Amino acid sequence: MIRLIDVRKSYTQGESEVIALAGVSLEIARGEFAAVMGPSGSGKSTLLHLVGGLDRPSAGDVLVDGKIISQMDDDAVTLFRRKNVGFIFQFFNLLPTLTAIENAALPLVLDGRSEREANARAEALLARVDLAARRDHLPEQLSGGEIQRLAIARALVFDPPILLADEPTGNLDSKTGAAVLETIRAINRDAGSTVVMVTHDHDAAARSDRVIHLRDGRLAEEIP
Amino acid sequence: MLRLLRLVSWRHMMRHRLRTLLTFLGIVLGVAVIVAIALVNRTLTGSFQRTIDLIAGKAVLQVENGESGLSEALFPAIRDTHGVADAAPAVEGFLPLVGAKGEKLYVYGVDFLADSSIREHEFVGGSFTLDAALEFLARPDSIALTESFSRRLNLPVGARLRLATSRGVRDYTVRALLKEQGAAKVFGGSFALMDLPVAQIALGKEGKLDIVDLTIESGESVESVRARLQARVGGAAQALRPRERGEQVESLMTSFRVGLFFVSLVALFVGFFLIFNTVSVSVIQRKREIGTLRCLGILRRQILSLFVLEALALALAGSIAGVGAGFLLAQAALYSVGQTVNSLFFQFDAASGSAGFAEIAVGLAGGIGIPLIAALYPAWQAARVTPLESARQAVWRPRSQGVSRATLIGLLLLLLAPALAVVSPSGLGGVGKFTLGVVAMMLFLLGLSFLAPLFVSAWAGFFWRALGRLPPRAGFLRNEARLACDGLRRAPGRAGMTIATLMISLAAIFTVAAFVASVRESLLHWVDRMVTADLVVHAGAKTAGPLNVPLREEFGAKLESIPGVVVVDYYRLIRSNYQGRPIMIESFSAERSARVRTLPMLSGDGARALRDLAVEKGVLVSESFQRKFGKKIGDAIRLATPSGPADFNIIGVYIDYSSDSGSVLIERSLYKRFWRDDLVDAFDLWLARGAEPESVTAAINRGYGDEYQLFVSTHRELKANVVRLMEQSFSVNYAVEIVAVVVAIFSVINTLLASVLDRTREIGVLRAIGATRKQLRGTVMAEAGWIGILGGILGLIAGGIMSYHHVVYNTRFLTGWSFQYYYPTEVAVLSLIASVVLCLIAGYLPAKRAAAIPIVSAIGYE
Repeated sequence: MIRLIDVRKSYTQGESEVIALAGVSLEIARGEFAAVMGPSGSGKSTLLHLVGGLDRPSAGDVLVDGKIISQMDDDAVTLFRRKNVGFIFQFFNLLPTLTAIENAALPLVLDGRSEREANARAEALLARVDLAARRDHLPEQLSGGEIQRLAIARALVFDPPILLADEPTGNLDSKTGAAVLETIRAINRDAGSTVVMVTHDHDAAARSDRVIHLRDGRLAEEIP
Repeated sequence: MLRLLRLVSWRHMMRHRLRTLLTFLGIVLGVAVIVAIALVNRTLTGSFQRTIDLIAGKAVLQVENGESGLSEALFPAIRDTHGVADAAPAVEGFLPLVGAKGEKLYVYGVDFLADSSIREHEFVGGSFTLDAALEFLARPDSIALTESFSRRLNLPVGARLRLATSRGVRDYTVRALLKEQGAAKVFGGSFALMDLPVAQIALGKEGKLDIVDLTIESGESVESVRARLQARVGGAAQALRPRERGEQVESLMTSFRVGLFFVSLVALFVGFFLIFNTVSVSVIQRKREIGTLRCLGILRRQILSLFVLEALALALAGSIAGVGAGFLLAQAALYSVGQTVNSLFFQFDAASGSAGFAEIAVGLAGGIGIPLIAALYPAWQAARVTPLESARQAVWRPRSQGVSRATLIGLLLLLLAPALAVVSPSGLGGVGKFTLGVVAMMLFLLGLSFLAPLFVSAWAGFFWRALGRLPPRAGFLRNEARLACDGLRRAPGRAGMTIATLMISLAAIFTVAAFVASVRESLLHWVDRMVTADLVVHAGAKTAGPLNVPLREEFGAKLESIPGVVVVDYYRLIRSNYQGRPIMIESFSAERSARVRTLPMLSGDGARALRDLAVEKGVLVSESFQRKFGKKIGDAIRLATPSGPADFNIIGVYIDYSSDSGSVLIERSLYKRFWRDDLVDAFDLWLARGAEPESVTAAINRGYGDEYQLFVSTHRELKANVVRLMEQSFSVNYAVEIVAVVVAIFSVINTLLASVLDRTREIGVLRAIGATRKQLRGTVMAEAGWIGILGGILGLIAGGIMSYHHVVYNTRFLTGWSFQYYYPTEVAVLSLIASVVLCLIAGYLPAKRAAAIPIVSAIGYE
């Protein structure tokens, strides 16, 4: 499903070059729930961004379902991302001016779907994450857990085969965090989505099928 | 896309209502100025032509010679020219109505029998029977008024009215009323018909005609008849189609109209920066939102379209409102501009002007097009936002690459601007060179704007370091002012945009101020040298020009007899033509006044020029004439006079600001001989030593004031009048100053609000680590202050360079006039203070908002 071949990524910061990924090769199978762990600066988020097509590697290839997304042009990778990848961020990244249902339906609006179709789909998803009663609330009127559940609903609007989560519980209390993780796990189990989750939390990682450890931009097991 | 616009953009606008409103108002103001100026220009252009069309009736050709007129003796030759069907001679002029303040009648003197073939004068039924018509012609005091004028001033048939004529006040009797049709519609009905000889006497044009209107026989071509006419009249007059005549007279106002257009261009340019600033700030502020949308799968082109459509929607709404406001503004501007045109060019019939779709189209095109262009670059920047923006935690990142690219573009533009100003292709006319000069000025400003981030970096960096060396007890300077520097140097692009907008606004204000100051000082200096008389006497108006009633020369003898008067000179100013273009002809008697008069010369000795003029060695031409027609001392010029074409040698070039179309100064004896005209527009009086101007003025008014409707001005009053006229003609410029100030304020509020919103988390952190609300308010206010100081300094530098270029080069290209450049020091100091104060005022709201941010939610803000 997801395959990284000798992927490298470096950034220029000021006059120095920072290596985020120093040649990572790995595969994540369809339907797998993989957690990515590692200390700060180990390259976890960079790995997630590359898999989601948010960024391009400096070298190497990123393949999803056999397609080399790292070589697609911007429009192609955007369209790929729109329908195939759902994102859940630590800071939620909801549009503060849109209501819950409008936030959830936004990817469908971007795809040119009719308002009725978009709203019906968003409504169903809000019900699934137990937010049906809060459909007309703005994000600032929701609690932390509700906001993250809304972000999950938005991520699922296309039933994407891949769900990418960057510290999804990082901004939540333990009880709410556990509920969110349970929702993600249920999606992985019920819809068969492949989940890649970056986390610092060992309890969260424990819910995954597999833990990938990164250190200094490399897979931990590859470090001599 | 419309759904996205509604969902994303509309909600954003509603969330930031104040900023949206400020931008909207900026567009409204800009468009209002453009539409108002377009309307004024259109009315100016159309009014004279419409007046000519209405009066011309069926005439297809008109023989005329400006205000020089043509000899009546030429009429038979014109009438009998092969191909001419009908010919109607006429004289025209304005005569004030005595006892009715401000009322003037446009008197048209015609030969009724001949005129009926050209114009259909409709008289009010029953009031003009054959007997009445015969009585009208038989009585030398007959006048026909329009129905509306008669009604308005209660002057029915049989009523008597007094007009101030060239021979003094004369009584006339209303013997017919005209329906307001054709010619009678001009000047809002202030139109009167007289029999030709009666009008000639009233206007002081005995033996002369102003115009002969012609129709041609069927089968004849206008051009062949025109050629025959031209051959018959020689150089004593010109045969023109009515439209050509209108265009010729209107070309007198070319510089004035181009100047007005320049003003609207400045308004557009300033407005451009407001939109650019708003959209850019919006992009910077919404980067994270854009990043999220990119994550969710929005395409780059969709982002581009979204931001462009957003600007378009705002521009459309602002433009529609602006067009409405422009119509209102135009009414006010027309009043003021109308006064100028009346005083300087010709009697302006505002009522005959009409506004068409063209002005609305110009306003909408400017109001929509400019924001659209201004939004393109920021929208393109928005489209370049990567999805990673949504994942970033920090708002600020080093942007050295952006700064250096902007610097490069800025430097290139700064090099291009002077190159454009220096290179002016030969053959390019005055208007063309002026336009090139204006483009160079715009490029110069753009160049400086691109360099603004560099200036911000350098300035804020310097003060960040310098203030850091202050001891801790320096308090505000050490803390708030330094923190504000830090804010600026970390976002030089954002602050640079506001500083550029401020700089441009200030440069526009300063350029207008310096231009007005230079013109004012140059004019006053010129008046001092050109008009040395102690008293100047006019009839019908305070200054010589289209408004005054020329008096006969005999009146001068009466003035000479007044105790205290030692020298009386006769000044005459008429509009004529040279090489098909309008010029002014001035005359006075150097023979009479050389010993008391001075003459400002472009080069050479004024006293000697006066002596040469007095012995009729030749004529002097003005600086504008020299530049426009490429003539020099020693050349001969051929002028059309009522005596036929005559050649005159140029013996000098004098400075004359009375008309930019070019003037020729002729000794009065020479003028009278060739022009057969002894009328006088102004009597210049020099008094005996010790004579009191006030008592002489009182004596003149007592003896002749009422009889001749006199205006006696002292030298000081004349100068005050010149200044009043000048300020009146620049009144529209002040509208741009208002736009510039408003735009500057909007931009600063806009940027500071965005800056506060961008740094909500940072502000929260500062509060968390112990910064008081007062300190935060102080920091934001200090940032506003820094913006004000830097924007003010750059504005003054840019304004200084621009205004010098505009006064010394652009104005000379357009008008042919050289003005001495005067740096308005007071305006400079006040502008700098105002810039800082306005920024502090504009910064108050954002500062208050920053201080009110709750710490906990600010730290969690994303």
